[in-house]
Amino acid sequence: MVSANNGSAVSNSLLVVVSQGQSRSPEKRSLEDAIATIAASLPNTTSLVVPHLYDLDADSQSVIKLREWTGPIVILSWLFDRAGFWVLDRHEIRGQHGEVQLLNTDIANEDDDEEDEGEDEKAADRVANIMVRPSRRIYSIDMRAGNSADVFAAEFRRILECEQLDAPKKDLLSLDRFLKPTNSTALSMDGSGRLDGNSASPASHESPLGIVPLRVDEHPQRRWYPVIDYSRCTNCMECIDFCLFGVYGVDRGETILVEQPDNCRKGCPACSRVCPENAIMFPQHKTPAIAGAPVDAGGFKIDLSKLFGAPERDEDPAEAAARERNEQLILAGRAAVDFNPVSAELVSGSTAVATVDSAYTKPDRKPDELDSLLDQLDSLDL
Amino acid sequence: MSESLTFMMGDFAAEFPTDRLYAKNHMWAIRMENEVVRFGFSAYAVRLLQDIYFLEFGIEENALLRDRQEFGNIESKKAESGLYAPMKGKVVKINEQLLNDPSGINVDKYGEGWLMEIQGDSSEMLSPAQYLEHLAKAWDVAQRTIKGQANTIESNEE
Repeated sequence: MVSANNGSAVSNSLLVVVSQGQSRSPEKRSLEDAIATIAASLPNTTSLVVPHLYDLDADSQSVIKLREWTGPIVILSWLFDRAGFWVLDRHEIRGQHGEVQLLNTDIANEDDDEEDEGEDEKAADRVANIMVRPSRRIYSIDMRAGNSADVFAAEFRRILECEQLDAPKKDLLSLDRFLKPTNSTALSMDGSGRLDGNSASPASHESPLGIVPLRVDEHPQRRWYPVIDYSRCTNCMECIDFCLFGVYGVDRGETILVEQPDNCRKGCPACSRVCPENAIMFPQHKTPAIAGAPVDAGGFKIDLSKLFGAPERDEDPAEAAARERNEQLILAGRAAVDFNPVSAELVSGSTAVATVDSAYTKPDRKPDELDSLLDQLDSLDL
Repeated sequence: MSESLTFMMGDFAAEFPTDRLYAKNHMWAIRMENEVVRFGFSAYAVRLLQDIYFLEFGIEENALLRDRQEFGNIESKKAESGLYAPMKGKVVKINEQLLNDPSGINVDKYGEGWLMEIQGDSSEMLSPAQYLEHLAKAWDVAQRTIKGQANTIESNEE
């Protein structure tokens, strides 16, 4: 089991979890390995590598192990930090937002959830303020925040200090680790997870005490579902009303939850657009605002979509949501529905299918229209 | 491979086999049986993308696509993009192999690195010669688009 030594010692150490990306980028893979390795070498720290966090389901070994951990957690993923935190929360791995200073500077800005909490007029209505999470802290770090393991190590040390785990007073623990089999060995022998020595980078074997990162060896399928940020959600029920695929439900306390995540239609982010509080994230969506970025700050790479045939659109979020939902209804062999963004009333009607279809089956565009796209790009230049 | 036509993307010679058709959004198209058409990225697209690290299909087999409907996305070392239907029709097959290893597109773009098969009317597809004309017109725009975005990215990083 993933516990730092025996039960009582759990809160005396920090768990650093590296969530591997889906991307095959060698830079990303080597950074993941380096971060996990350096974390394993820090005092009072257990380092664990899991597959892409968002793809894990409730039965996953990684999730089961993480749920057993009651101490502070640092979660590193290729997701916006807000998304990483709430994906864990969805898995019932909960805590308070730990302040992170290592930020993804491409999107860093003043709009930090926690900072505006104080003067938030709706603070009393936010689900997270009603259903209070456990007091242990969870520090979510976007791995895009740094290029070298050193900057992550510095952040881990700062967090250890915050958690008062930096001092050598935990000698007992270290000694225990040294004399007895380390917890990594324990994990490898308990049969429910295993240490994958082949994947560990050679350098990790040279780390102090021979401690290597633990790895959960599982290969989840890709998933697609909404993740709710309960520090923003006011339980208004717009999403449950809007989604026609039965993704949302309520718990016994009548709090909204993503009840049937796998009913969600792959690629469809429509409900996040109708959420009045911007509380619904699709961490894998390419639009940063939908994926959990504080604001829409554009991509980090060159977006070739327009060269590869992206249709030109000028629609507001409500129209986009209605179109996306209709696309999914049609894909599912169901009738599209009308959506009136003004009153937000839904009127079902199969005649809408033709309307939607004709509205978006525009004639092929000639290259000269690409010129106008280019003008738009230029006007975005800040 | 059979004969091919060449288009110069700056100093890079992109090759386009003449045994197939092409879609305006830079996919090649091979007609199979029963109106099924197999699609993959043309050398032009692969050159713009370079090393492909990640591919996601936002649809499943049997999905009906409108022309240019978004069906997934792709990320490479240098770029990212949505994927858009090259024609209207029913998706009959997806190359699932690419999910685990999208570099298959870089390795064999005109063969094993195919993307998907769509059943439908492919009469709008371009001949290799027509596609090269299309590229000649599109190339300037592509360069300016890339440069424009690159400038934006640089100014953001300051």
